[in-house]
Amino acid sequence: MKMQSLRSKIAIGLSVVLSAGLVATGLPSAHADTSGLQPTSAQLSAWKGKEITYYFYNDSQAELDITKAQIADFQKLTGATVKLDVIPFTSLDTQLQARIAAGNAPDVARLNNPGLYQSVSLNLETYLGRKYVEEFLKGSTFQVTDPKTKKLIGVPYDLSMNGPIINVDQFKKAGVAIPTSWNWTQLIAAAKKVQAANGTEYAFAMDKSGHRFSTVLSQFNSYMVDKNQRNVLPQSKTRAIKALKLITDLYKADSAPKDLWIGSGTKYASPVAVFVGQQVPVFFSGNFNLATLDSTAKFNFQVVPNPKELNGGGWPGGKFLTAFNTSKTPDLSAYFLHYLADKAQMEQMDKGAFWLPTRNDLVGSGMKYPKRAADMDVYLADTASTPAAAYGIQSVPTLTGLIYNYLRDLMTDVMGGKITAAQAIDKQIAWIDEKLATLKK
Amino acid sequence: MAIFLTFIIWPALRGIYISFFDSTDGRTFTFVGTANYKAIIGDPTAIEVAKATATYVVFYVLIATTLAMFFAIVVNEQKFAKGFFRAVLFLPVMLSPVVVGLIWNDVLDRKVGPLNALLEAVGGGSPGWLIEPKLGMIAVIFVGVWVHLGFYSIILLAGLQGIDRSLLEAASMDGATRGQIIRLIILPLLKPTTLVIIILATIHGFQSFDFIYTLTGGGPFGATTLIVQYIYDHAFQVPIQYGLGSAAGVILFMVIFAFTALNFLLGRKRDAI
Repeated sequence: MKMQSLRSKIAIGLSVVLSAGLVATGLPSAHADTSGLQPTSAQLSAWKGKEITYYFYNDSQAELDITKAQIADFQKLTGATVKLDVIPFTSLDTQLQARIAAGNAPDVARLNNPGLYQSVSLNLETYLGRKYVEEFLKGSTFQVTDPKTKKLIGVPYDLSMNGPIINVDQFKKAGVAIPTSWNWTQLIAAAKKVQAANGTEYAFAMDKSGHRFSTVLSQFNSYMVDKNQRNVLPQSKTRAIKALKLITDLYKADSAPKDLWIGSGTKYASPVAVFVGQQVPVFFSGNFNLATLDSTAKFNFQVVPNPKELNGGGWPGGKFLTAFNTSKTPDLSAYFLHYLADKAQMEQMDKGAFWLPTRNDLVGSGMKYPKRAADMDVYLADTASTPAAAYGIQSVPTLTGLIYNYLRDLMTDVMGGKITAAQAIDKQIAWIDEKLATLKK
Repeated sequence: MAIFLTFIIWPALRGIYISFFDSTDGRTFTFVGTANYKAIIGDPTAIEVAKATATYVVFYVLIATTLAMFFAIVVNEQKFAKGFFRAVLFLPVMLSPVVVGLIWNDVLDRKVGPLNALLEAVGGGSPGWLIEPKLGMIAVIFVGVWVHLGFYSIILLAGLQGIDRSLLEAASMDGATRGQIIRLIILPLLKPTTLVIIILATIHGFQSFDFIYTLTGGGPFGATTLIVQYIYDHAFQVPIQYGLGSAAGVILFMVIFAFTALNFLLGRKRDAI
């Protein structure tokens, strides 16, 4: 009973924060519902035998299995065929850009950087109605709203939340209490104590990602771009340097897997295998890794709250579904997208793959995860306490990924002693200025 | 011929054409003249990439050719389990370059890799193969040689087996030492095959990308970013610059063409002498 009440509070808090934090979207607040949307008999006869391609990447096997099952049901429902193209995350944008350039765009794609595809995305309002957008949390649609037309050109599919995951067995062996709240000093001290007690290779590991590090920046109340597309990093430069130094010092001192970060060049790299191999007790990642850990970890692990400095909470991300305007059957593509993001399918995916819902109805009713509910509650609570300013960077969807990647590569240089943390932040400020200027041209 | 024209000549010509345009999406092109070439020449990263590529190619060709010759001679004179040793030598050639990169990434891991475990056991410390720029270059040269060694050795082995054995036996009967036989008979007779190996190794060296991308990703700190990765990064990684990538591709083509032509010319000149 208590748990249900907590979930409801978290859900309501989440809605409020997302809505308040993203008033810039300017979307209407009245609720609509297309959940009963069914294909007409004319559409069904037109779609019979047609094929669409779904460009898809997955973080876990569960996501792939559920997607395949949902596609099978969709095919039964519509008589159309969905060809599933499974792409590795590391080449998601590379392959898609090449396919679009070659005139071979898929019909629908699951993306994490939808801003790159604004010019070729299908206006969903044509097929799903103007009010379809209202089915989703306001803030979550920021990156899939065309900045010029304000039309919906994709749907948020998973909210995503960053945060630490710990090896409970190693914490217990070290006699370190499972944290219910902590700051970065306490996190690092605990991680090092657990490392010493268990003889693990590292104390701490973070996904090699500027997005993940932005969580730390936010906790130090430092942000790069605000909702008005302004570079706000200079205003929190000192705090940003402190945050950057905090993390890069861990890598420099070999308390974190330096080889994985520096040794992977300019590519994304995840230390999930390092965590699964029990080489590190604290893994800073996000909910998208939970399904993989749940199925592969041979030890007890747990999601713990994000450290709180000036701010608590995490850093928002998200996965999106986009249909392309080159689709030969745009109505079928739009309907497929609608089908995947409807209440029943999203609930199935969220529960099976530990995703965070983006639909108002699911958030409003409070998701009841059959497994790892306590872990998901931590993510939901962190989502609710994430500052509104953390969503500011989503005001520049075409640059978001680039800003994260540039920051990631500067962190690599700091870890290698090529530049200082202060120089890295100065470079990041100058680079953001340059990119924002090109955006305004 | 139609296939050659469609899949080789047309894309190559198209690549040269695109190198004079700017395109960020592959659908719209703006003519920029030689701006892409100027941008590459003025790009400090491109200079670093050129240096890294030159270092890689020189050492790769030298080491691969020398070792391939050594193994070809050893395998040719082997008396037992010939098939087994040839298969072992050739095995890496059959592996996917992506898998090769991943395997060696694990092997070379500084903290948990088996190579460093071995080195530590004999007091050799724990070199940061994947985090030190010089060691990173050594690692990719080594893996590059490891991948292609079997291929080059088999070609040289075929050349060795084409040498008339009576020549070797006559030299031996005349009192020539083993070293003299190799230096004065085998190596000169193998020159045409060796030239092919040098040309192939040069081309492979310049084109190396896939296993390096999975092994080091071009790191540490860009030390193993060679020209093909530079092309890939500009042509396919966001922000996309198809024109710049194509211009870099044209430069790579010209460099390989020049080296191949030079090798042929030097080979012919020596033959004429």
